[in-house]
Amino acid sequence: MSLAVNSAKWTQTMQVAWSNQLVYKLNFLMLVLGPVLVFFFIKYNLWSSIFSMPGVTTIQGYDLASMLEYQVWVMIVALLAQSYNNMKLAEDIRLGRISSYLIYPFGFWQFHTASFFGTQVIQIIVSILTVFAVAAFGFDLNLSLDQTPAAIAFCVLVSLLWFAIAFILGLAAFWLDETWVLRVIFVIIAQFLSGAIVPLEIYPVWFRSFLDYTPFPYMTYVPVKLFMGAYEGHIGTAFAIISFWLTVSVLVATWTWKRGIRMYSGAGM
Amino acid sequence: MGTIIKYARIYRGFINTCISQATSFRLHFFLLIFMDLFFYISSLATVDFIFDYVPMIGPWNRDQFLFFISFMLAIDQLHMTFVSEGFWSFSFELRTGHLDFHLLRPAGTIFSVFFRHIRAGSLLLIFVPWACLIWFGMKIPLDPFAWVLLPCFVIAGLILLVSFELFMTMFVFWTIEVYGINFLRIQFQQLSRWPAFAFKPWPRRIFTFVLPILLIGTPTTGVLLGTSPWYALLYMLAATLILWGLVRWLWLTGLKSYESASS
Repeated sequence: MSLAVNSAKWTQTMQVAWSNQLVYKLNFLMLVLGPVLVFFFIKYNLWSSIFSMPGVTTIQGYDLASMLEYQVWVMIVALLAQSYNNMKLAEDIRLGRISSYLIYPFGFWQFHTASFFGTQVIQIIVSILTVFAVAAFGFDLNLSLDQTPAAIAFCVLVSLLWFAIAFILGLAAFWLDETWVLRVIFVIIAQFLSGAIVPLEIYPVWFRSFLDYTPFPYMTYVPVKLFMGAYEGHIGTAFAIISFWLTVSVLVATWTWKRGIRMYSGAGM
Repeated sequence: MGTIIKYARIYRGFINTCISQATSFRLHFFLLIFMDLFFYISSLATVDFIFDYVPMIGPWNRDQFLFFISFMLAIDQLHMTFVSEGFWSFSFELRTGHLDFHLLRPAGTIFSVFFRHIRAGSLLLIFVPWACLIWFGMKIPLDPFAWVLLPCFVIAGLILLVSFELFMTMFVFWTIEVYGINFLRIQFQQLSRWPAFAFKPWPRRIFTFVLPILLIGTPTTGVLLGTSPWYALLYMLAATLILWGLVRWLWLTGLKSYESASS
């Protein structure tokens, strides 16, 4: 009985998340079109222009086709992993709306996690459609049967890590009036250091060695290389490292919530 | 003249309010500075890393390309400081009916809505993109006349960028939710940060003559570097005038469909 009731709460919340995402259809369409626009008009054009230079056939092992394939998978990983934003979470805290969650039979983190799952379902559908659309435009996506299941599983962990980090940054609303800037800072840093702009092989060796000690390469570069079937490291180690960072993030989120709720003043009550 | 003085006084009021607001939330103030700084570093470093493997991209070498990126960052810095917040708050004003208060004020409503938020933190960083711009300009090197034109061209690029973004934001009257439009607006900003020659012919034509974002930086830097003819600037002027005409028309049409939610 309890399981059924709990499942219903999670399902209902996911449905609310779907409705929120899809209520402004034009808005949703623009969110989907944005990354595709960037891929086709910036990345495709820029890399085509670079590789059309006399004498430039490969850059650090990437020819034009593999560079474009890399960029397509960057787009897909971003769609799968970075969809959730913590704006509502921070707003709930700042405007004192978490008072409701404290007395409801469905808690704050459960509500936001269910919303995240709901958003993920939409993003998975969008990602699959994007893969088909890109393939229909003639891009050769050499899906590796060996590494694709690992890539998908890895993306699940990456999306959970992004969610956990977004959750922590949203919880900063207990102390800060505005938290969006934290998220934007994190996105800018993560995009640059995770290989979302250019493959990490293009960065200087000393810089890549430094990145190995951070979670960033595992947030884009590793899942992309897994999708391409070109990941040369040990897959088990990669899973262990992303799981480690995920665990750390969940622990930090739990700790932050406990600290934050102690000083929650219930603004507006 | 009287109108200019009136608006200058209003704008001074906006600046004073924003400075006192920024200094009240000090951590947010410093985080904004850090955010902008990291953005500048990542933009320049990405191009610099690519040039470790290629001698030229299109007709430009490393210094010319980094000069272009610095030019776009200088525009971006002014944009972030003086106008960017307004694009986010407009939807809130529409949804909550707060636009009523702006409409009643004895000043231009577009001015009151879009130019009242100034990011004091970003203002402090003005020297960063300009230092890069001067550094790469000296490495090229630019001729004396180009140095005189440089600040005017940055302002002209900013005006075109703001005109284009106002044009896009007017559609919020019909979409209501601004997140999608702003997301798309940011993607267009990304497109504009690359020179026109990096695009294939068809996208280049579309983003020059239909959605003129490639006119923000390419013609002006091209004239400064001697790779574009001076009359390319006329396209920029024409695009700005047409966009302002469209903004005015969309604004008046949009106001007719505005429902004044809280009234």
